[in-house]
Amino acid sequence: MIEVHGLTKRFGRTVAVNQLSFDVRPGRVTGFLGPNGSGKSTTMRCMLALDRPDAGDTRFDGRAYGSLHRPLFEVGALLDAGYVHPGRSGRNHLRTVATSNGISATRVDEVVALVGLTDVSRRRVRTYSLGMRQRLGLAAVLLGDPHTIILDEPANGLDPEGIRWIRDVLVHLAGQGKTVLVSSHLLSEMAQMADDLVVIGMGQLIDTSTVSDFVSKHARHWVRVRSPQVDLIAQQLRSRGATVTTLDVSGIEVVGVPAADIGELAARSGAILHELSPLQGSLEDAFLEATAGSQEYLSVAPTAPTGVAPGGAT
Amino acid sequence: MTDLLKSEWIKLRTVRVNYVLTIIAAAIPIVVVTLVAALSSRVQQTADDFAGGVTATLVLTALLLGVVGALNLTSEFSHGTIRVTFAAVPQRRNVLLAKAIVSLLATMVLATIIELVSFGIGAGILSGRGADIALRPSDKAAMASAVLLAGMLSVLGYGIGLLIRNSPATIAVLILWPLLFENLVRAVLSAAGVSNQTPWLPYQSAITMLNPSTDSGDPSRLHGALYLGTIVVVLVAVGIFVNERRDA
Repeated sequence: MIEVHGLTKRFGRTVAVNQLSFDVRPGRVTGFLGPNGSGKSTTMRCMLALDRPDAGDTRFDGRAYGSLHRPLFEVGALLDAGYVHPGRSGRNHLRTVATSNGISATRVDEVVALVGLTDVSRRRVRTYSLGMRQRLGLAAVLLGDPHTIILDEPANGLDPEGIRWIRDVLVHLAGQGKTVLVSSHLLSEMAQMADDLVVIGMGQLIDTSTVSDFVSKHARHWVRVRSPQVDLIAQQLRSRGATVTTLDVSGIEVVGVPAADIGELAARSGAILHELSPLQGSLEDAFLEATAGSQEYLSVAPTAPTGVAPGGAT
Repeated sequence: MTDLLKSEWIKLRTVRVNYVLTIIAAAIPIVVVTLVAALSSRVQQTADDFAGGVTATLVLTALLLGVVGALNLTSEFSHGTIRVTFAAVPQRRNVLLAKAIVSLLATMVLATIIELVSFGIGAGILSGRGADIALRPSDKAAMASAVLLAGMLSVLGYGIGLLIRNSPATIAVLILWPLLFENLVRAVLSAAGVSNQTPWLPYQSAITMLNPSTDSGDPSRLHGALYLGTIVVVLVAVGIFVNERRDA
């Protein structure tokens, strides 16, 4: 169990994290979401006593991280796969970390095998791809078989097989009763992997709930209707105040009226229904809706540069 | 603490640049002493002050080992591994002390080996050329002081690194300290009417420890050791204090 209470971190005049409080429960994968610059990484560094918070604290099963004697047996963390000396071999990197907590070289070889790096573990890290470094970082997390796991963007740089592998690992670890907090920008992956979500924006808590509740709460809901008498149905729905969008000659999308009501309305009108599908937006839709207004960096669709003719002539 | 010392020892000996610097640091006195012993035209005169010649060549060795001591820490900041280190052991003071101890001990052992090998090779060549090598108590004290100086410079580099956290800047300060800063202070002291400036200069005071036959105006070995040693201890203490409170 992780308990974050009133965490606040300032860098000069910038408030990176502001009075952030949330809990992460054991036995579940909790996704930590937020736009770029929202304070996710800063929060994780504060949780691990790497950055000094200006206010608030974090408890791991009731204990502050700084009071843990051999933290690798309690909390495993991967903040950045690049935090490795490029001139050191992967195995030696793990040995330095393991030895500091009294963990044997045998265990190092076990976790190296677990993440599939046995063949390259004696090569220097500068020859590793980003995906291999992520696996090395995860190996360090697993060294002490901790009951709490914190990962910052662990799927970054992984290929599809690697992404599926890390998803399976985290779900498996949560299934063992471990507390798993993971941040990621891959929302489709998060939708498959996470049970709970903590969503922040501009350093403040936006929402914390289960994934399904979050999507239900923030994503758009609509009903797709197909009927030979679609114009009749659309007219009646508009008169009830529903928002109706025409798809084609036989299809409409309806916002504001439940599917059951549309079905009853069609029956009363004698209209034949070919399709009546209640639809819901994705986690990505819900995330974008929930964090609208909390985006530090806003982008626009690309347009042709002014004064540049096709073919590059100006 | 034992686990931390082991971990820091693994860090020190698993990076190639440390081996390269150590080989250079060892090669300089060994090559110079060998050439002097083999090529000197005044064999007995060279043999009479042989310990002084060996310790003089060890100054550069000590500086290079100081660079290794500095890099041992600053590379952790430049590669971000300090976050992995502090996440594994949140008791930062213990980590930083372990790092300093390993750096100090490794440097002093290396300096001892380099000095003994240099002396052994040179003494063998000079004996082969018919000279008598006599090791006076002052020669032994000077040779022991060279090992001490190497240890202090290693921890000095480490202490500067704790405050600056940047490899090029730390090495620059470590090298410029004796070459530039102390000469500037010497000039200021001279202008202020201080006739013997050396006792006021920590690095220069420590260097005089390496001379077997000190002049009457030179600071004593104890003075040199205590002056630079105190500065090193204060730097490391301040560095640890600051790093316990700063973001990693």
